[in-house]
Amino acid sequence: MANSVNMSVKLSNIIFKNPILAASGTFGYGFEYQKYLDLNMLGGFIVKGLSVKEKKGNKPPRIVETPCGMLNAIGLQNVGVDRFVNEKLPEIKDLNTHIIANIYGSKEAEFVEIAEKLDLEKAVSAIEVNVSCPNVSKGGALFGKNPDSVFNLTKLIKSSTKKPVIVKLTPNVEDISLIAEAAESAGADAVSLINTITGMVIDIKAKKPFLANKTGGLSGPAIYPVGVRMVYEVYEKINIPIIGVGGIYNSDVAIQYIMAGASLIEIGTANFINPDITVKIIKGMREFLSRENIQSVSDIVGAAHSM
Amino acid sequence: MELKILENIEIASNIYSLKIDNPALFDVVPGQFFMVKINGFDYPLLRRPFSVASFEDDHIGIIYKVVGEGTKILSDKKPGDFIDLLGPLGNGFGDVEKDKKILLVGGGIGIAPFIYLKNVLENDYKISYKAFFGFNTKDEIYIDFGEIATIDGSYGFEGNVVDMVENEIDNNSLIFACGPTIMLKRLAYLCYEKNCDMQVSLESRMACGIGVCLGCVIETNDKDFKRVCVDGPVFDYKDIAWQTL
Ligand SMILES: Cc1cc2nc3c(=O)[nH]c(=O)nc-3n(C[C@H](O)[C@H](O)[C@H](O)COP(=O)(O)OP(=O)(O)OC[C@H]3O[C@@H](n4cnc5c(N)ncnc54)[C@H](O)[C@@H]3O)c2cc1C
Ligand SMILES: Cc1cc2nc3c(=O)[nH]c(=O)nc-3n(C[C@H](O)[C@H](O)[C@H](O)COP(=O)(O)O)c2cc1C
Ligand code: FES
Repeated sequence: MANSVNMSVKLSNIIFKNPILAASGTFGYGFEYQKYLDLNMLGGFIVKGLSVKEKKGNKPPRIVETPCGMLNAIGLQNVGVDRFVNEKLPEIKDLNTHIIANIYGSKEAEFVEIAEKLDLEKAVSAIEVNVSCPNVSKGGALFGKNPDSVFNLTKLIKSSTKKPVIVKLTPNVEDISLIAEAAESAGADAVSLINTITGMVIDIKAKKPFLANKTGGLSGPAIYPVGVRMVYEVYEKINIPIIGVGGIYNSDVAIQYIMAGASLIEIGTANFINPDITVKIIKGMREFLSRENIQSVSDIVGAAHSM
Repeated sequence: MELKILENIEIASNIYSLKIDNPALFDVVPGQFFMVKINGFDYPLLRRPFSVASFEDDHIGIIYKVVGEGTKILSDKKPGDFIDLLGPLGNGFGDVEKDKKILLVGGGIGIAPFIYLKNVLENDYKISYKAFFGFNTKDEIYIDFGEIATIDGSYGFEGNVVDMVENEIDNNSLIFACGPTIMLKRLAYLCYEKNCDMQVSLESRMACGIGVCLGCVIETNDKDFKRVCVDGPVFDYKDIAWQTL
């Protein structure tokens, strides 16, 4: 009886019916997927990263396939927070699932402005902060590379909204647990990891990088062992919930993340290949738990650490 | 959507005709495409876009050229194997104005969607048209209509298809075009010169095919980006910033 498994998880004041979320940048604003699955089946979904103003993004080519993965340099193209609230949110606000807004900025004040605007929107359950973006006032170094920047930013955002704040970490750092600890001590309600891993593909005929942006972020099945390892490390260091993301394409990998220490997981690139993969993964996880006689998914969070 | 392969045969040098069972669930407009999953989940990872070359009650037809790993694996599939299709996707060719002089201009594998378009023009619109197709050599020819140009002169007009069609174009022409980017670019500049209409089908690397990844964009004349997968793949040539392609 697969249905007797308890899939629900709690993060701060939100209860998710299951731990499966769709990852930012891979799920549009949600309604684009309505044709392919019942969005109400999901624990939640995270919309494309929002900035203060509409952003056009990078010049093409923006993507290139790699073995079991892809590089992207979309350049955070999005409609901006105001159009999101006025045009996109009305299309999804009545869904019976959690909508999480992903935000980014080029300086602290921009994050704060977006967070304050979203704080007024009842339909937004939580805010995920993308810190894998350059801090213009600090010479363009990524916010997410420096524990102090992450601490300050998290603190500011926490004071601009009552909604739970999830800090989404970049793997392109020396020690990701240090950054996770900074987010925790600044009051983050959770951390999500990992964002994409920076990479490059060279077009050998043209003798130059394939992507117009030169570098791009690697995602897809190829990166999952990196994500699992990082979740495992961070779990040993912090006490707030972890959301695992990176290369999840089936329920076995999803379970690996949970056993490494993730309370919830996000599915990204896999949505491009099978638009209803999230629903398949939910089903697969239920079946696994039921087969293993595990009553609740929360029973196996961090299970891999007991050895 | 897992569908059964009915036929997968080489019809010209390195060019295959793939026929797939038609589940009778949808209609297809010429110029629309499917995202095809070549293998089980992880390798090759992304779906491949292919235009519809024929659409009949008993099959969906795709004509593809083996260019890389994915199409190589596809060419080894056998009748009876199943293949996973997502679609039909995108905006196909539209607005056929009957009083215009209709020209189909294609190059290489880009001619594939015109086989289906020909059918629709003849059977649904019942209008006449002229077709001009270019190949590199005789061995690559996989169609049995239209005027043919080959680069090496081994069949038909010697040279490229744009040279062959140039004198046919006037300000009352409506061109449907698909093929290599450099061919389309030359054709676009020609259309500006002759002040005619053209609907052009473009290619771009795609991850999702459904408008969410924003990976497939091309630049437009109003300094914006448009997604080839959902805003195209067929565009009005006047919208495209050709100098960026
Ligand atoms: C709307 C559309 C319709 C198409 N219709 C046809 C068709 O009817 N027949 C046909 O033979 N080909 C068609 N193509 C091109 C076809 O998608 C590529 O040839 C194919 O993806 C190559 O895959 P591969 O694994 O063999 O090549 P590889 O070079 O190994 O592929 C590597 C990656 O690049 C992508 N890629 C490579 N070449 C192209 C290309 N020209 N366009 C887009 N992506 C590419 C692949 O999808 C893959 O992700 C179409 C492309 C588009 C965008
Ligand atoms: C095309 C694309 C766009 C993305 N856009 C965003 C974004 O706007 N904000 C963000 O925080 N992460 C973004 N990501 C990162 C994903 O949310 C995810 O962290 C990463 O892709 C790893 O997971 P995956 O391997 O399951 O895709 C994007 C990823 C891809 C592939
Ligand atoms: S392929 Fe993803 S938006 Fe076009």
